[in-house]
Amino acid sequence: MTRALVLYAHPLDDSFAASLHRTVVTTLDARGWEVDDCDLYKEGFDPVLSAAERQGYHDEPSNIVPVASYVERLRAADALVLCFPVWNFGYPAILKGVFDRVFLPGVSFRLEDGFVKPNLTHIKKVAAVCTYGGTRLRAIGAGDPPRKIVTRHLWHVTRPTKLKYLALYDMNRATHDKRAAFEARVAREMEAF
Amino acid sequence: MRALVVYCHPREGSFTSAVRDKVLDRLKAKGAEVRLTDLYADGFDPVLSASEHEGYLDCPKNVAPVAKDVEDIAWCETLIFVYPTWWYGQPAMLKGWLDRVLLPDVAFLMPDEDNKTIRPGLQHITRLGVFTTCGASRWLTTLVGAPGRKTLLRGIGLLCAPRKRTAFAAHYLMDTAPRASLERHLDRVARKMDKLLS
Repeated sequence: MTRALVLYAHPLDDSFAASLHRTVVTTLDARGWEVDDCDLYKEGFDPVLSAAERQGYHDEPSNIVPVASYVERLRAADALVLCFPVWNFGYPAILKGVFDRVFLPGVSFRLEDGFVKPNLTHIKKVAAVCTYGGTRLRAIGAGDPPRKIVTRHLWHVTRPTKLKYLALYDMNRATHDKRAAFEARVAREMEAF
Repeated sequence: MRALVVYCHPREGSFTSAVRDKVLDRLKAKGAEVRLTDLYADGFDPVLSASEHEGYLDCPKNVAPVAKDVEDIAWCETLIFVYPTWWYGQPAMLKGWLDRVLLPDVAFLMPDEDNKTIRPGLQHITRLGVFTTCGASRWLTTLVGAPGRKTLLRGIGLLCAPRKRTAFAAHYLMDTAPRASLERHLDRVARKMDKLLS
């Protein structure tokens, strides 16, 4: 069985992001994936990299100790799906903290002859499912940082065979139909994942 | 001149703390009134909670959990960020400050019947400075699209005064940086600051 780690970051159960998250999990599950559903808010993940962690950042393998369970889940994954709302053209802090604290040297990358080598290449498939308050045009005006982070940085450390960036822009003004269409698209993409 | 410096690094004595000191030094030389927010020292909680999200649009009550920070941002007309770049973006601590403090009716006005899109709410900010350090090279950062710089200079920049002045300086390849290069960078920060404040 192939295993998918779903990283989900939204504080409210009745949000549209929560509904998208449920769609992702149930669709993957129905397709036979073993889903590791990581609800960062529910799990009370602490996103703050501490002074001690910063000090020991490059000390492998002891650097993983404070976040060992998350490192294990990341290492066990064949696919990674991020579900999040875009806030201020970036990840919510709780999700940004996963990268700060868990994507450590020896976990997400390794240094070889001074070059950074990707170290999560067992993750063959990557998807992001996200919603923006701003319009697509506004996001492009700002350089769409979250899209670049996913399609370039996350791509760089995983080198997946498949990467999908599924985004609904201007979601505060999106009609019910538009939201439903986006949710259906997410379900389709997850079925084909 | 009223300047708010938002500083984010877990360890005092880091190079980022030296950059902060240089920024504060140039502000002092200009005779600016300065407020410093040290997110780690203050133990700021970067996680936007469920109750905050529920009350997000409930202005002005939405500012209550972060009233001091909101007051600072309304007070300043120069806004400066000093932080290390981690994974091409702000540390979660600083990202959370943006998430929780840049609220509707503080940083922007929500769309309404007359306005299709959000409108800027930080137009009193006429100077925006970003000073950071990157482990990655300049080349790789550019290839990724420098998302951290864009989140602040463009994302937040769009909310500030249209004719604002901006400053940006980053030191790349921090893990192998020679001392002389770091010292040159501090001089660069000083020059950029002086130009920003002139």
